[in-house]
Order: sequence, then structure tokens, then C-alpha cells
Amino acid sequence: MTKGGLPARLRAAWRRLERGHDQLFVARWRQGARREARRQQDTLRALVMLESLGVDNPVAYETLELIPYLVADLHEWHQRMGQRGFGDPEVCC
Amino acid sequence: MPAIVLALVVGVLFYLGYRYYSNYLARKVYALDASAATPAHTMSDGVDFVPTNKHVLFGHHFTSIAGAAPIVGPAIAVFWGWGPALLWVVAGTIFAAGVHDFGALVVSVRHKARSIGTLANEVINKRARALFLLIIFFLLTLVNAVFAVVIANLFVANPEAVLPMLLQIPLAIGIGQYVYRTRSAALVPTLIGVVLLYCSILLGQLWPITLGFAAEDGFFTDRNIWVILLFAYTFVASRIPVWVLLQPRDYINSHQLFIALGVIVLGVTVGMDKIVAPAINDTPEGSPSWFPLLFVTIACGAISGFHSLVSSGTTSKQLDKETDARYVGYFGAVGEGSLALGSILACTAGVVATTADWNAVYADFASASDGATGNFVAGVANFASNLGVSASLATVFAAIVVISFAATTMDTGVRLQRYIVQEIAEVAGARKLSRSATFGSLVAVLVPLAMALIPGGGKDGFTFGVLWQLFGTTNQLTAGLALAVIAVWVTKQRRNPTAVLIPLVFLVVMTVWALIVNLQEFLNQQEWVLFPLDLIILVLAIWLIVEAAIALRKAWQGAAEQDESTVR
Repeated sequence: MTKGGLPARLRAAWRRLERGHDQLFVARWRQGARREARRQQDTLRALVMLESLGVDNPVAYETLELIPYLVADLHEWHQRMGQRGFGDPEVCC
Repeated sequence: MPAIVLALVVGVLFYLGYRYYSNYLARKVYALDASAATPAHTMSDGVDFVPTNKHVLFGHHFTSIAGAAPIVGPAIAVFWGWGPALLWVVAGTIFAAGVHDFGALVVSVRHKARSIGTLANEVINKRARALFLLIIFFLLTLVNAVFAVVIANLFVANPEAVLPMLLQIPLAIGIGQYVYRTRSAALVPTLIGVVLLYCSILLGQLWPITLGFAAEDGFFTDRNIWVILLFAYTFVASRIPVWVLLQPRDYINSHQLFIALGVIVLGVTVGMDKIVAPAINDTPEGSPSWFPLLFVTIACGAISGFHSLVSSGTTSKQLDKETDARYVGYFGAVGEGSLALGSILACTAGVVATTADWNAVYADFASASDGATGNFVAGVANFASNLGVSASLATVFAAIVVISFAATTMDTGVRLQRYIVQEIAEVAGARKLSRSATFGSLVAVLVPLAMALIPGGGKDGFTFGVLWQLFGTTNQLTAGLALAVIAVWVTKQRRNPTAVLIPLVFLVVMTVWALIVNLQEFLNQQEWVLFPLDLIILVLAIWLIVEAAIALRKAWQGAAEQDESTVR
């Protein structure tokens, strides 16, 4: 028998119910929120990396200091954008 | 006959369909491979591509495909008696919808989870993409028009439902924000939210909202003003991010779906209501014939092209194992068929107590189609009252369920239409327009608004059922295009495509037949709005037949040449 008896088992069952409900009903909306966050992050990254993509960036000097913060997941981003490598020469990967 | 008997018989047939026919499809037609890596694994990104437990994915898939359409179609179609409607729902679900939803999911999974529009371009040819965009344009136009009418009619008939529907918006946003910001389990806040929503029915009863435009003959009727207000709301809603309004409301609605299904099942079981409608109705002279119009009146609930968009758009990205496609795709179609069954039972057993009363409610096609949603609401209210809920409270509850589904469909429909308009503008070379969200939203709102405001019923206008049938034809053409893609793919894999070709041919023949029947009718009645619309959809149907025939012929030739070279 589970330690704590009936109340503990009821609590465990309630937590299972909460997890099941979360997976069934909440996960897809959380996924939507993540998708939106990723879209906004992608837009920011594309703007900051404009010169690396061969486009003149009139505010390059101001956005330069943001690059270190966006480098961490650069690899995942350029692969998702359909580019096997990144930069010229292809320094990433 | 007690409604529960019919429900049990259909339940057994659905079980047999899933147990045996889907098993045949999985092994012989789609050749599922449990060891094949799905896009959820090969392209995993933690956002769109996520391997998901099959029961959870079924829940996501089912709540995405289920809405008001499998309720309204059968509620109109029982005008011809419950027999034809039920036969089409059962046969359609087992032999057409299951094949279609399951197949679209498998083909998408085998092509990097691409959507059916992109697959039409790849598997058939480049013209198929333009065809797909045009079919979807008309599908969404008619979806938005018919659901605006459905909601407006329900608001007029149930003014007590207006306030709860308005309160649902801040309630849904509040729950969404609470769960998102606190990152806590959503079960308790959701239960509180749903209880509060249903408690707001009492407020709705205290303060029913009517607009006060009672003039039935003029333009300024309550119905028309509600239609205009609804489109003004969707214009704004389609311009703001989905997570602000659409997703929280859809979240609440996914709970309402299961609550409504539970009420129908329990209500029918406890109440033991008898079916009072005739199996085949002796319709008055001059009524539209059930053959072939039944097959476009019930689209969702028997087979719906919209499901292929869901199967290939989101579900395919989350499929953990290829073999899960059978459960998620085919059983999802069975779930939709069950909702259609619930609608048939509500409109034949729940709505009234005697056959004479039923004959009065379904006296002719105009009253049957105009009152279809109201009849479903009355039927579900009766089932709910079998469970001890007061009749007036139960009626508003049922109205809220249908309005919520229809409103979410409209929200999504106008938003999707905006994208489609922009894409069509891009294909047509109008680059400036293709980049304008305002232009897209205006077209997405104004065209269906005009359709919805055209007078319905009476000698000067057309009935709601006719507009509904046109929506059904576009839905069936979308399904036809998806089935053509599946059939071509199955043929290229050198497997027998008969199981896909039978629903494809049946669907296309019935749709073209229905379009021609209605075309003649519109010409006779000099309906100069519906005639060209019907004609355009007929042209799209013929275009679909030509493209499908060309693609299938090429696929057969390719497969035969491959066989010959193997023999040599």
C-alpha cells in the first residue's frame, strides 16, 4: 500500500488527472504560444543578422551588441531556415 | 424505436469499421511501418514537430476537426427522414471519411509533414495548387457566410445566450493568462471557468439582449444587424495574434465539445427518448430530392475535406509512430461521425415528442433548413433536461455550445481566408495587394458578409439550406482533391488504390450531380447570385476531375513501366 494511505493515493490520482488534462487540452495552446514566441525571435534575429544575409542594415552599429545573445541557437535557426551552413565563409557547422 | 438502440447499432458498425476496414487500409493500402522515423522525430523542433502520445494526439486532432458543421448538416438532412441521413453518415464515415482522414495523414507523414495544398502541387502538378487555393477560397467564403447566419439566427431565437457569449471572451482570456503566467496546472482554473460560463446563463436569463430591430420586411432586422456585428468582430479578431483571443476561446470550446457529447450520450441513455421522425419522410411536392443533395448537405460527419487540412497541417507533425496514424486519423473520423449521429438523434428523438409535432417542425425544406440549428438546440436541451437540468437553462446551454463552435469556426475561417486572399494575390502577380493584411481581411469579411445578407427564405430569397449545400459542395471538392492526391500516391507506390478511388469517384459524381441540379433550379428561379457561384464551383469540380484523371493515368503508366523494367 502507498505510504500515507488513501489521502496520498487520492492526491497522486488528482496529479495524474491534472497531467492528463494538461497534455490533452493545454499542450497545444502552449505550443501555439511557443510558436508565436519563436516567430518573434526569428524576426528579431533576421533583423540583427541582416548583413550576414547580404542585406545592408542601416542600424548595424546599434544592433551589433545583440549578436552574442542570439548566437547560442543560431545553428538551429539557420537549419530551420533551410541553410545547411551560415555566413561567408560558412563558419557555423 | 428508442434512440439508444440506434446509437448502439451505429456504435457497433463504427467499431467493426475501425477494427477491420482500417486494419485493411493500414496493411494493404497505406502499408504502415512501425519502425519508420516520422517527421516528429526527424525534424523535431520542440514547437511544431513534437512526438506525441497517440491518445493525446487523437484528442488534439478530434477537437480540431469537430465543430458546428457535423451538427448543422445532419440537422437539415433529417428532413428526408432519419434513414438516408444515418446511412450516409455511417457509410461515409467508414468507407470515405476514414480513408480520407487516415490517408491524408499518412501521405503527409511520408512527405515531411507537408500540407495537402503543397502535396497537390508535388504529387499532382503545379496547376493543382491554384485549383486548391480557389476551392479553399470558396469553401471559406461559404463557411463564414453560413456560420454568421447560424449564429445570428441563434442570437435572435435565444437572446439569453448573448450575454454568456460576450462574457466567455474575458473569461477565456483570463484563464489563458492565468495558466500562462502562473505556469500552474490548468485543470482547476478551467473547471472554475467552465462553471462560471454556465453560471452566466442565469445572468443571460435576467438580461436577455435583443437589438430591437423587429421589421421583418426591411433590411434592418435583428438577424442582419447581428450578421454585420459578427463580421465586424471577426475583422478585428483576424488582425490580432491568435493567442490573444482565438486560442483561449478555442480552449474553452474543446471542453464544451466533450461536455456536449457527454450530455447527449447520458441524456439519450437516461431518458430513453423514442425516435419520432419517419425513417423516410414523405416530403411535400416540389421539395428538393434527397438524391444527390443528401451527399452535399451532410459533408462534415460523413466526409469533409477540411479534415485533410488538419491531418496534413498539424497532426502529421506530431505523429510518434506511423502505425499511430490508423488510430488518430481513422478514429478521428469515427468521432466526427458520432457527433453527426448525436445531431441526428437530437433532431429526430429529442426535438419533439410526437410524429405529428415533428412533421410540423420539418414541414418543408425551407423551415427544415432555417430551423435546423434551433432543432438541434431543442433536442440537446431535452436530453439535458432528462438529466435534471431545467428546460430553459438547458436550451441556453445547448445554444451556447453551438454558437461557441460556430464562432470559433468563423474566427478561424476569416483568418485563414485572409491568408488565402493574400496567396491568391501573389499567384496572380498583384504583389502590393498580396502584402496588405487589410486588403486580405476586407475581402475575407465583405464577400461572405454580402452572401449572408442576401435574403433567406420566402419567395424573394433562397433558403439557408441551399447556401449550406453550396458550402457542402466546396467541402466535398476539397475532400476530392485530397483523395486524388492519396490515390495518386498509393498508385505510385504500386499498391491497389480501389479503396481510395471508390469514395473519390462517388464524391465527385454526387457533387457534380448536385451542382447541376441546383444550377437548373437557380436558372428557373432566376437566382442571379447563386447561379454564377454554383457555375464557378461546377467549373472547379470539372477541373478537379480532369487533373485527377491526368495524374492517375500518369501514375498508372509510371507504375506499369516500372513493373515491365523489373520483369526484364
